[in-house]
Amino acid sequence: MRLTALLSMAAKAAFPHDYRYGTNRPWTIAAQRLNPPGKKRRKVFVEPIANEDWHVVRGDTVEILSGKDKGKQGKVAQVIRHRNWVILEGLNTHYRYIGRSGDYRGTYIASEAPLLLKDVTLVDPTDRKPTDIEWRYTEEGERVRVSVRTGRIIPKPVFQRKDGIIPQQWKDGPKDTSPEDTLQKTYTPSLKTLEEDVMEKMNIQEDRRPRKSYWY
Amino acid sequence: MGVLSALMRGLVRGADRMAEFTSKRGPRTFYKSRGARPTGVLTASRKFIPVQAMIPEFVVPSLEGFNLKPYVSYKTPAGTEQPMTPEMLFNQVLAPQIERDIEEGVFSEENLEKYGLEKTQEGKLFKLHPKNFVR
Repeated sequence: MRLTALLSMAAKAAFPHDYRYGTNRPWTIAAQRLNPPGKKRRKVFVEPIANEDWHVVRGDTVEILSGKDKGKQGKVAQVIRHRNWVILEGLNTHYRYIGRSGDYRGTYIASEAPLLLKDVTLVDPTDRKPTDIEWRYTEEGERVRVSVRTGRIIPKPVFQRKDGIIPQQWKDGPKDTSPEDTLQKTYTPSLKTLEEDVMEKMNIQEDRRPRKSYWY
Repeated sequence: MGVLSALMRGLVRGADRMAEFTSKRGPRTFYKSRGARPTGVLTASRKFIPVQAMIPEFVVPSLEGFNLKPYVSYKTPAGTEQPMTPEMLFNQVLAPQIERDIEEGVFSEENLEKYGLEKTQEGKLFKLHPKNFVR
Protein backbone atom coordinates (compact mmCIF):
# COMPACT_ATOMS: atom_id res chain seq x y z
CA MET A 1 0.00 0.00 0.00
CA ARG A 2 1.18 3.52 -0.73
CA LEU A 3 3.03 5.25 2.08
CA THR A 4 1.07 8.49 1.82
CA ALA A 5 -2.22 6.65 1.82
CA LEU A 6 -1.14 4.72 4.90
CA LEU A 7 -0.07 7.89 6.70
CA SER A 8 -3.31 9.69 5.88
CA MET A 9 -5.25 6.71 7.17
CA ALA A 10 -3.28 6.81 10.40
CA ALA A 11 -3.84 10.54 10.74
CA LYS A 12 -7.58 10.58 10.29
CA ALA A 13 -8.83 7.14 11.23
CA ALA A 14 -9.37 5.49 14.60
CA PHE A 15 -6.68 3.83 16.64
CA PRO A 16 -5.46 0.23 16.17
CA HIS A 17 -7.27 -2.45 18.16
CA ASP A 18 -4.19 -3.01 20.35
CA TYR A 19 -3.63 0.67 21.13
CA ARG A 20 -2.68 1.18 24.77
CA TYR A 21 -5.02 3.85 26.14
CA GLY A 22 -3.49 5.86 28.95
CA THR A 23 -4.43 8.77 31.16
CA ASN A 24 -3.33 11.17 28.42
CA ARG A 25 -6.11 11.51 25.87
CA PRO A 26 -5.05 9.97 22.52
CA TRP A 27 -5.11 13.23 20.55
CA THR A 28 -2.67 15.02 22.89
CA ILE A 29 1.02 15.40 22.12
CA ALA A 30 2.02 13.49 25.25
CA ALA A 31 -0.01 10.49 24.12
CA GLN A 32 1.45 10.70 20.61
CA ARG A 33 4.91 10.66 22.13
CA LEU A 34 4.15 7.61 24.26
CA ASN A 35 2.21 5.75 21.56
CA PRO A 36 3.50 6.66 18.11
CA PRO A 37 1.65 4.88 15.30
CA GLY A 38 4.08 1.99 14.80
CA LYS A 39 4.56 1.12 18.45
CA LYS A 40 3.33 -2.12 19.97
CA ARG A 41 3.18 -2.51 23.71
CA ARG A 42 2.55 -5.48 25.92
CA LYS A 43 -1.15 -6.18 26.00
CA VAL A 44 -3.20 -5.13 29.02
CA PHE A 45 -6.16 -7.32 29.79
CA VAL A 46 -9.35 -5.41 30.41
CA GLU A 47 -12.44 -7.05 31.80
CA PRO A 48 -15.11 -6.62 29.13
CA ILE A 49 -18.03 -4.65 30.55
CA ALA A 50 -21.00 -4.13 28.26
CA ASN A 51 -22.25 -0.62 27.61
CA GLU A 52 -25.52 -1.44 29.35
CA ASP A 53 -23.77 -2.57 32.55
CA TRP A 54 -21.57 0.50 32.98
CA HIS A 55 -23.03 2.45 35.88
CA VAL A 56 -20.57 5.24 36.69
CA VAL A 57 -20.93 8.62 35.02
CA ARG A 58 -18.74 11.72 35.17
CA GLY A 59 -19.93 13.84 38.08
CA ASP A 60 -21.12 10.90 40.23
CA THR A 61 -20.05 10.55 43.84
CA VAL A 62 -18.29 7.21 44.40
CA GLU A 63 -16.48 5.54 47.27
CA ILE A 64 -13.12 3.81 46.91
CA LEU A 65 -13.04 0.20 48.07
CA SER A 66 -9.36 -0.63 47.90
CA GLY A 67 -6.09 1.17 47.60
CA LYS A 68 -4.39 4.02 49.35
CA ASP A 69 -7.54 6.12 49.85
CA LYS A 70 -9.81 3.24 50.81
CA GLY A 71 -13.06 4.41 52.31
CA LYS A 72 -12.98 7.93 50.92
CA GLN A 73 -15.67 9.41 48.73
CA GLY A 74 -15.05 11.64 45.77
CA LYS A 75 -16.49 12.97 42.55
CA VAL A 76 -15.68 11.31 39.26
CA ALA A 77 -13.67 13.67 37.07
CA GLN A 78 -13.03 11.40 34.10
CA VAL A 79 -14.08 7.99 32.83
CA ILE A 80 -11.88 6.02 30.43
CA ARG A 81 -13.97 3.13 29.10
CA HIS A 82 -11.16 1.45 27.19
CA ARG A 83 -9.37 0.47 30.40
CA ASN A 84 -12.40 0.46 32.76
CA TRP A 85 -10.84 3.43 34.53
CA VAL A 86 -12.38 6.05 36.74
CA ILE A 87 -10.40 9.10 37.84
CA LEU A 88 -11.61 10.89 40.96
CA GLU A 89 -10.92 14.48 41.90
CA GLY A 90 -8.08 14.75 44.39
CA LEU A 91 -8.11 11.11 45.51
CA ASN A 92 -5.64 8.28 44.94
CA THR A 93 -2.95 10.83 44.22
CA HIS A 94 0.77 10.63 43.78
CA TYR A 95 2.98 13.66 43.57
CA ARG A 96 5.12 14.82 40.70
CA TYR A 97 6.87 17.85 39.31
CA ILE A 98 5.31 19.52 36.28
CA GLY A 99 6.71 22.12 33.91
CA ARG A 100 10.38 21.72 34.59
CA SER A 101 12.81 23.64 32.39
CA GLY A 102 16.53 24.24 32.70
CA ASP A 103 17.46 24.26 36.39
CA TYR A 104 13.91 24.91 37.64
CA ARG A 105 12.55 21.67 38.99
CA GLY A 106 8.92 22.62 38.28
CA THR A 107 5.75 22.81 40.34
CA TYR A 108 5.07 20.02 42.81
CA ILE A 109 1.50 18.94 42.22
CA ALA A 110 -0.72 16.04 43.19
CA SER A 111 -1.86 14.00 40.20
CA GLU A 112 -4.68 11.47 40.43
CA ALA A 113 -4.11 7.86 39.46
CA PRO A 114 -6.95 5.97 37.78
CA LEU A 115 -8.99 3.38 39.64
CA LEU A 116 -10.57 0.31 38.11
CA LEU A 117 -14.33 0.17 38.09
CA LYS A 118 -14.38 -2.82 40.44
CA ASP A 119 -12.52 -0.80 43.07
CA VAL A 120 -15.21 1.88 43.34
CA THR A 121 -18.92 1.81 44.09
CA LEU A 122 -21.58 4.41 43.81
CA VAL A 123 -22.78 6.11 46.95
CA ASP A 124 -26.45 6.26 47.91
CA PRO A 125 -27.21 9.99 48.08
CA THR A 126 -29.70 9.63 50.93
CA ASP A 127 -27.52 7.95 53.58
CA ARG A 128 -24.16 8.52 51.90
CA LYS A 129 -23.01 4.93 52.29
CA PRO A 130 -21.52 2.77 49.53
CA THR A 131 -23.91 0.39 47.83
CA ASP A 132 -24.19 -2.06 44.94
CA ILE A 133 -26.05 -0.92 41.88
CA GLU A 134 -28.51 -2.54 39.52
CA TRP A 135 -30.12 -1.23 36.39
CA ARG A 136 -33.88 -1.41 36.64
CA TYR A 137 -36.84 0.06 34.85
CA THR A 138 -39.30 2.49 36.42
CA GLU A 139 -43.01 2.32 35.82
CA GLU A 140 -42.69 4.89 33.07
CA GLY A 141 -40.16 2.65 31.33
CA GLU A 142 -37.11 4.70 32.14
CA ARG A 143 -33.88 2.80 32.83
CA VAL A 144 -32.43 3.94 36.15
CA ARG A 145 -29.73 2.92 38.59
CA VAL A 146 -31.15 1.48 41.79
CA SER A 147 -29.14 0.75 44.91
CA VAL A 148 -29.58 -2.86 45.95
CA ARG A 149 -29.28 -2.20 49.69
CA THR A 150 -31.88 0.54 50.08
CA GLY A 151 -33.83 0.30 46.83
CA ARG A 152 -33.61 4.02 46.12
CA ILE A 153 -33.01 5.43 42.67
CA ILE A 154 -29.67 7.12 42.16
CA PRO A 155 -30.23 10.02 39.78
CA LYS A 156 -27.78 10.83 37.05
CA PRO A 157 -25.65 13.85 37.86
CA VAL A 158 -26.53 17.07 36.09
CA PHE A 159 -24.50 17.31 32.92
CA GLN A 160 -21.93 20.09 33.15
CA ARG A 161 -19.98 21.20 30.15
CA LYS A 162 -16.22 20.97 30.48
CA ASP A 163 -15.80 24.62 29.51
CA GLY A 164 -18.07 25.70 32.37
CA ILE A 165 -20.76 27.33 30.23
CA ILE A 166 -24.32 27.03 31.53
CA PRO A 167 -26.59 27.45 28.50
CA GLN A 168 -29.50 29.00 30.44
CA GLN A 169 -27.25 31.70 31.88
CA TRP A 170 -25.49 32.45 28.62
CA LYS A 171 -25.55 36.09 27.51
CA ASP A 172 -25.57 36.48 23.74
CA GLY A 173 -22.68 38.44 22.30
CA PRO A 174 -22.84 40.71 19.24
CA LYS A 175 -21.89 37.85 16.92
CA ASP A 176 -24.37 35.31 18.35
CA THR A 177 -27.60 34.52 16.52
CA SER A 178 -30.52 34.53 18.94
CA PRO A 179 -32.44 31.23 19.38
CA GLU A 180 -35.58 32.62 17.68
CA ASP A 181 -33.65 33.61 14.57
CA THR A 182 -31.85 30.26 14.51
CA LEU A 183 -35.04 28.20 14.71
CA GLN A 184 -36.91 30.26 12.15
CA LYS A 185 -37.81 28.18 9.10
CA THR A 186 -37.45 30.22 5.96
CA TYR A 187 -36.90 27.39 3.49
CA THR A 188 -39.58 27.00 0.84
CA PRO A 189 -39.03 23.79 -1.13
CA SER A 190 -39.10 24.19 -4.88
CA LEU A 191 -37.92 22.34 -7.93
CA LYS A 192 -35.23 24.92 -8.73
CA THR A 193 -31.56 24.32 -8.01
CA LEU A 194 -29.93 26.77 -5.59
CA GLU A 195 -28.17 28.49 -8.47
CA GLU A 196 -31.40 29.03 -10.44
CA ASP A 197 -33.17 30.32 -7.33
CA VAL A 198 -30.38 32.80 -6.60
CA MET A 199 -30.32 34.01 -10.21
CA GLU A 200 -34.04 34.62 -10.08
CA LYS A 201 -33.90 36.53 -6.79
CA MET A 202 -30.98 38.71 -7.88
CA ASN A 203 -32.40 39.31 -11.39
CA ILE A 204 -29.32 37.94 -13.11
CA GLN A 205 -29.88 37.35 -16.81
CA GLU A 206 -27.65 34.72 -18.40
CA ASP A 207 -28.46 33.93 -22.01
CA ARG A 208 -25.12 32.45 -23.00
CA ARG A 209 -24.88 28.71 -22.99
CA PRO A 210 -21.64 26.72 -22.83
CA ARG A 211 -20.45 25.34 -26.11
CA LYS A 212 -21.16 21.67 -26.66
CA SER A 213 -18.16 19.42 -26.34
CA TYR A 214 -17.85 15.67 -26.67
CA TRP A 215 -15.50 13.15 -25.27
CA TYR A 216 -15.17 9.49 -26.00
CA MET B 1 14.50 11.24 9.65
CA GLY B 2 13.38 10.81 13.23
CA VAL B 3 9.74 10.79 12.30
CA LEU B 4 10.27 8.39 9.43
CA SER B 5 12.30 5.90 11.43
CA ALA B 6 9.95 5.99 14.39
CA LEU B 7 6.87 5.59 12.26
CA MET B 8 7.67 3.09 9.60
CA ARG B 9 9.97 0.49 10.99
CA GLY B 10 10.82 -2.23 8.57
CA LEU B 11 10.34 -0.10 5.50
CA VAL B 12 13.07 1.00 3.10
CA ARG B 13 15.09 3.89 4.47
CA GLY B 14 15.39 6.97 2.27
CA ALA B 15 13.16 9.55 0.68
CA ASP B 16 9.44 9.03 0.50
CA ARG B 17 9.02 8.10 -3.17
CA MET B 18 5.26 8.11 -2.99
CA ALA B 19 4.94 11.69 -1.74
CA GLU B 20 3.13 14.14 -3.96
CA PHE B 21 5.57 16.06 -6.25
CA THR B 22 4.27 19.57 -5.62
CA SER B 23 5.45 22.89 -6.96
CA LYS B 24 7.54 23.32 -3.78
CA ARG B 25 9.91 20.56 -4.86
CA GLY B 26 12.16 20.11 -7.88
CA PRO B 27 14.60 22.55 -9.50
CA ARG B 28 13.74 26.22 -9.90
CA THR B 29 12.89 25.66 -13.57
CA PHE B 30 10.15 23.25 -12.54
CA TYR B 31 6.73 24.90 -12.80
CA LYS B 32 3.52 23.34 -11.59
CA SER B 33 0.29 25.02 -10.64
CA ARG B 34 -1.40 24.27 -7.30
CA GLY B 35 -4.89 24.22 -8.81
CA ALA B 36 -5.82 27.87 -9.25
CA ARG B 37 -8.01 28.40 -12.30
CA PRO B 38 -6.53 30.71 -14.98
CA THR B 39 -8.09 34.15 -15.37
CA GLY B 40 -7.01 34.80 -18.95
CA VAL B 41 -5.21 33.56 -22.00
CA LEU B 42 -1.45 33.23 -22.58
CA THR B 43 -0.55 34.25 -26.14
CA ALA B 44 2.21 32.87 -28.37
CA SER B 45 4.47 35.80 -27.54
CA ARG B 46 4.10 34.84 -23.84
CA LYS B 47 1.92 37.84 -23.09
CA PHE B 48 -0.94 37.24 -20.70
CA ILE B 49 -4.30 38.75 -21.65
CA PRO B 50 -6.77 38.78 -18.75
CA VAL B 51 -10.32 37.88 -19.76
CA GLN B 52 -12.90 39.64 -17.59
CA ALA B 53 -15.37 36.78 -17.86
CA MET B 54 -12.90 34.34 -16.30
CA ILE B 55 -12.29 36.51 -13.23
CA PRO B 56 -14.85 35.59 -10.54
CA GLU B 57 -17.10 38.40 -9.39
CA PHE B 58 -19.05 38.16 -6.14
CA VAL B 59 -22.61 39.41 -6.44
CA VAL B 60 -23.72 40.05 -2.87
CA PRO B 61 -27.38 40.79 -2.12
CA SER B 62 -28.35 43.49 0.36
CA LEU B 63 -28.29 42.17 3.93
CA GLU B 64 -31.18 44.27 5.23
CA GLY B 65 -33.41 42.35 7.61
CA PHE B 66 -30.89 39.51 7.73
CA ASN B 67 -30.53 38.50 11.36
CA LEU B 68 -28.29 35.44 11.14
CA LYS B 69 -24.85 35.95 12.64
CA PRO B 70 -21.63 33.90 12.48
CA TYR B 71 -22.23 32.04 15.75
CA VAL B 72 -25.23 30.39 17.34
CA SER B 73 -26.23 31.12 20.93
CA TYR B 74 -25.75 28.38 23.53
CA LYS B 75 -29.38 28.80 24.60
CA THR B 76 -30.63 27.24 21.36
CA PRO B 77 -32.11 23.79 22.01
CA ALA B 78 -30.26 20.92 20.35
CA GLY B 79 -31.81 19.06 17.45
CA THR B 80 -31.55 18.57 13.70
CA GLU B 81 -33.94 18.76 10.81
CA GLN B 82 -34.29 15.82 8.52
CA PRO B 83 -32.28 16.34 5.33
CA MET B 84 -34.43 16.89 2.26
CA THR B 85 -34.86 13.73 0.20
CA PRO B 86 -36.37 13.50 -3.30
CA GLU B 87 -39.46 11.83 -1.82
CA MET B 88 -40.00 14.67 0.66
CA LEU B 89 -39.47 17.26 -2.06
CA PHE B 90 -42.04 15.56 -4.29
CA ASN B 91 -44.54 15.24 -1.45
CA GLN B 92 -44.25 18.88 -0.50
CA VAL B 93 -44.09 20.51 -3.92
CA LEU B 94 -45.77 18.32 -6.51
CA ALA B 95 -48.10 15.95 -4.73
CA PRO B 96 -50.77 18.55 -3.77
CA GLN B 97 -51.00 19.93 -7.31
CA ILE B 98 -51.15 16.48 -8.89
CA GLU B 99 -53.79 15.29 -6.44
CA ARG B 100 -55.89 18.38 -7.10
CA ASP B 101 -55.65 17.81 -10.84
CA ILE B 102 -56.55 14.14 -10.51
CA GLU B 103 -59.64 15.02 -8.49
CA GLU B 104 -60.71 17.56 -11.06
CA GLY B 105 -60.00 15.01 -13.78
CA VAL B 106 -57.54 17.28 -15.63
CA PHE B 107 -54.39 15.20 -15.02
CA SER B 108 -52.69 13.87 -18.15
CA GLU B 109 -49.28 12.24 -18.43
CA GLU B 110 -48.33 14.22 -21.57
CA ASN B 111 -48.81 17.53 -19.80
CA LEU B 112 -46.32 17.21 -16.91
CA GLU B 113 -44.50 20.49 -17.77
CA LYS B 114 -47.06 22.57 -15.93
CA TYR B 115 -45.91 21.08 -12.61
CA GLY B 116 -42.31 22.12 -13.28
CA LEU B 117 -40.98 18.80 -14.56
CA GLU B 118 -38.86 19.12 -17.71
CA LYS B 119 -38.84 16.72 -20.61
CA THR B 120 -35.21 17.36 -21.51
CA GLN B 121 -32.23 19.13 -19.96
CA GLU B 122 -31.17 20.75 -23.31
CA GLY B 123 -31.10 24.51 -23.28
CA LYS B 124 -30.85 24.80 -19.51
CA LEU B 125 -27.92 26.58 -17.94
CA PHE B 126 -27.72 24.24 -14.92
CA LYS B 127 -28.42 20.73 -16.14
CA LEU B 128 -29.32 18.09 -13.60
CA HIS B 129 -27.95 15.23 -15.70
CA PRO B 130 -25.20 15.32 -16.80
CA LYS B 131 -24.62 17.63 -13.87
CA ASN B 132 -22.66 20.63 -15.06
CA PHE B 133 -22.39 22.60 -11.84
CA VAL B 134 -20.13 21.85 -8.94
CA ARG B 135 -22.47 21.97 -5.92
